[in-house]
Amino acid sequence: MAEGCISFRRTRPGTKAKDFNRWPDEPFEEMDSTLAVQQYIQQTIRINPANIDLILSMPESQDEGVWKYEHLREFCMELNGLAVKLQIECYPENCSQMTATEQWIFLCAAHKTPKECPAIDYTRHTLDGAACLLNSNKYFPSRVSIKESSVAKLGSVCRRVYRIFSHAYYHHRNIFDEFENDTHLCRRFTVFVTKYNLMSKDNLIVPMNDITEMNEIDHQ
Amino acid sequence: MKVPIHQFYELKMEENSGSAPPTSALGAQNHNGGGGGQQLFGSVNVSVANNKHQQLGGGGINDVDITGDNKEQSPQYSMPGVLHFLQHEWSKFELERSQWELDRAEFQAKIAFLQGERKGQENLKLDLVRRIKMLEYALKQERAKFHKLKYGTDLSVEEGSTGETETDMTTDGGGGDTETPFSSISNITWRQGRQLLRQYLQEIGYTDTIIDVRSNRVRSLLGLNNNQDSEDTNTPALNGNESTNKKRYRHPKYPKSWFSPKKEGCNKQQPSSIAEAMILDTEAAVMANFEFLAHTDIDMEEEDNDGEDEIYDSNTDAKQNKTSIMMEDVDAEAEEVLNELNLLTEHEESIIHVDLDSNDWNSVRRGMQPDSSRRPCEESGSSLGLGELAQLTVNNDAEAAYDMSANNEEACRRSWNAKYTLRSHFDAVRALVFHPTEPVLITASDDHTLKLWNLHKTVPAKKSASLDVEPLYTFRAHTGPVLSLAMNNTGSHCFSGGLDGKIHCWTLPSANIDPYDSYDPSLLSQTLTGHTDAVWGLSMCHPRSQLLSVSADGTVKLWSPASKVPLLNNYTSELDKNPTSVDFIWDEPHKLVVAYEEACVIFDGETGQVVSRLAGDATQGVNRIVAHPILPLVITASEDRSIRFYDHRSASLAHSMVAHLDAVTSLAVDPNGLYLLSGSHDCSIRLWNMDNKTCVQEITAHRKKFDESILDVAFHPSRPFIASAGADALAKVFV
Repeated sequence: MAEGCISFRRTRPGTKAKDFNRWPDEPFEEMDSTLAVQQYIQQTIRINPANIDLILSMPESQDEGVWKYEHLREFCMELNGLAVKLQIECYPENCSQMTATEQWIFLCAAHKTPKECPAIDYTRHTLDGAACLLNSNKYFPSRVSIKESSVAKLGSVCRRVYRIFSHAYYHHRNIFDEFENDTHLCRRFTVFVTKYNLMSKDNLIVPMNDITEMNEIDHQ
Repeated sequence: MKVPIHQFYELKMEENSGSAPPTSALGAQNHNGGGGGQQLFGSVNVSVANNKHQQLGGGGINDVDITGDNKEQSPQYSMPGVLHFLQHEWSKFELERSQWELDRAEFQAKIAFLQGERKGQENLKLDLVRRIKMLEYALKQERAKFHKLKYGTDLSVEEGSTGETETDMTTDGGGGDTETPFSSISNITWRQGRQLLRQYLQEIGYTDTIIDVRSNRVRSLLGLNNNQDSEDTNTPALNGNESTNKKRYRHPKYPKSWFSPKKEGCNKQQPSSIAEAMILDTEAAVMANFEFLAHTDIDMEEEDNDGEDEIYDSNTDAKQNKTSIMMEDVDAEAEEVLNELNLLTEHEESIIHVDLDSNDWNSVRRGMQPDSSRRPCEESGSSLGLGELAQLTVNNDAEAAYDMSANNEEACRRSWNAKYTLRSHFDAVRALVFHPTEPVLITASDDHTLKLWNLHKTVPAKKSASLDVEPLYTFRAHTGPVLSLAMNNTGSHCFSGGLDGKIHCWTLPSANIDPYDSYDPSLLSQTLTGHTDAVWGLSMCHPRSQLLSVSADGTVKLWSPASKVPLLNNYTSELDKNPTSVDFIWDEPHKLVVAYEEACVIFDGETGQVVSRLAGDATQGVNRIVAHPILPLVITASEDRSIRFYDHRSASLAHSMVAHLDAVTSLAVDPNGLYLLSGSHDCSIRLWNMDNKTCVQEITAHRKKFDESILDVAFHPSRPFIASAGADALAKVFV
């Protein structure tokens, strides 16, 4: 029984930060929760955030729509970390527009009429909007099965949140590097959208050398 | 009357002689003869002439007393005196006669009124019984329809049973036949009687008041208030008559087939269908009520009023069942329930879900009641051709009674139902806190954010009983999961503790802020640094605006967030490490209680010394500790599924109970200290009566993520809201 108690996968109050959510891995096949996919993704990230191939390799017999959806949720959630860092440095005074390269100014789609929000507002609004959309009872009422029409929404969310990476990369490089070192999030995101064809390659403007190589290998 | 006359005598005596004692004067008066005595009695009925006469007589007596010592002197009659006396007597009798007549009229009116009342009630009763029958029939039909829809065909057994119910209906019809003439006759006679009565009353001139009184009486009778000084309306003979009548037409109405094992067996054959099981439940409830009815039938002789009440109760119940069976309208819920059932594997859990269902159904019933209260009437009216029933009830003032009894029911069965779903977090919601006055709350999540919600700003959701709320504002500053929350007593600031060891103080934006307003860094007004590990618990002492925090670094800190040096005190217990939860002790606010992994310790807040340790070896594994707002109680929720109550003065265990099927994670006491709310990893929240420690309600609220389910619960400090936070990234608010 004592063994059984220990094997509960839960974080009790009082747990130290280093032990947070640190429990024995559970094989995906044994996860019977409705949130199994999220559990599995978070588990693989916790094991090693740099092992992008493992994180993005879908278990067999998994519905691809749900798989993409849960990954996108995880990306948006982890992007909160980047937004927190940007809040400290990215002010409307120096970044009055959402830009990456000088080629485009991105308009914030969270408003009734798209608006030229400062970069930090764009970041926050995009993440808030994504949170609302991905949790919307209308488009994503279930986390077990997802309508085909709703899967189409994922692409536009990807395009918008990617701009946060690109803005950080081109305007707050130190923050970007620090964040990327810890999380490998932009790399994972790039591989993810490429793998599932959620964004066109022209839009992937943060250089990821080895990934492009990998894609070329994929294409060969 | 006597006294002043007496005094009058005394005065006279004193004036005239002063020798004779007053008693002799009295004696003389008595002696004056029966006439005088009678006069005195008569004078109670007041006439001025009478009084004068007496005074005259008194004068005479006075004379006699003074003049002579012989008491046997015969009274002297004079012609005018005798005439006067006779006249007086006559008028007196006349007066009495008129009085009697008045009384008689009054009593007659009363009798008529009471008879009318009785008749009215009788009719009401009849009507209600018919209504019950009607609803029974409709219920059966609905059930058959539902069955047909669900399985495509009628099962043969079912068919048999429906056949039986058909025959029941025919016997019922027979019963109705015997009943109909009775009721119609009584109706006609009653109406005539009522007309007559009205005339009568008008002649007397009492109409308005009496009718008012009557209607009030009827209303109070039906409103289940038995507090009136009930003059027993029915003579025993009449009552006996009535009850035999009733028995004659009522008995066929409780068909044995309702209780028949055949029907039961048929239901048992499909245990897979949860809806069926639910129907069984409601059926059982109806049955219970009907049995009650049968009893009241017998008790009717003694307790007519009570019987009436029972009938009303069962009637409203039947109505509710009826509404709940309207499957088409609540299809979505049924679907949901079925889905949920499919996801379950364990038998135990499925039982819980059945429980939940009846809760849900309650909510559906309640939700549907207002608009459907008239429906049963119309529907069965068309199917049974009893359309005139509606009129009957109107005649009998029954509508008002219905409303009142329904209201009463509402008050009795206060249960919480999920109303708002707060979905916008990406990961487990660890904590939530309500605004002290507004319908506003803040949630904290593993996704590193806090979100502000205004329950008045909802998004209309399709096909669902619960409303979705979109967050107003997202607080971002923590670099890891946010674990704990607290709010000050004005609702101007809130405090969040995170896995990153920081406590952030936030200024709350306006509850009407545009969710996509521009970023205002000043909302993060302060950060309390000092902890070096995850901050797992916060507690706010409102009167002093002080904040307690517990951290996985082993310390408990007391802060005064507004002051320049916010850290006030540091509490550590050498014996213990890893505090899990903390609270101020409300009736002795200088004390605080801390739950550690292995023990619960009470500190003196000023000296920082350990006052006592809660007794018993069961104080380990406490996930949450809360102090009762009024009583000297400390309540703990622990990993071993128990909730324990301690008297913090003696540090002794007051009560212990296994409260959930899995670890209890969270506790909240309502602002009045009457109820306790607990959340557990068994996916349910439970409401407990603080008095007798019984579970009042259980709600299955969240799903599991790994082995975590419900992480926090809360009561709104001033409004009827409760909330739960789940590992499934949702928060739910119940009303």
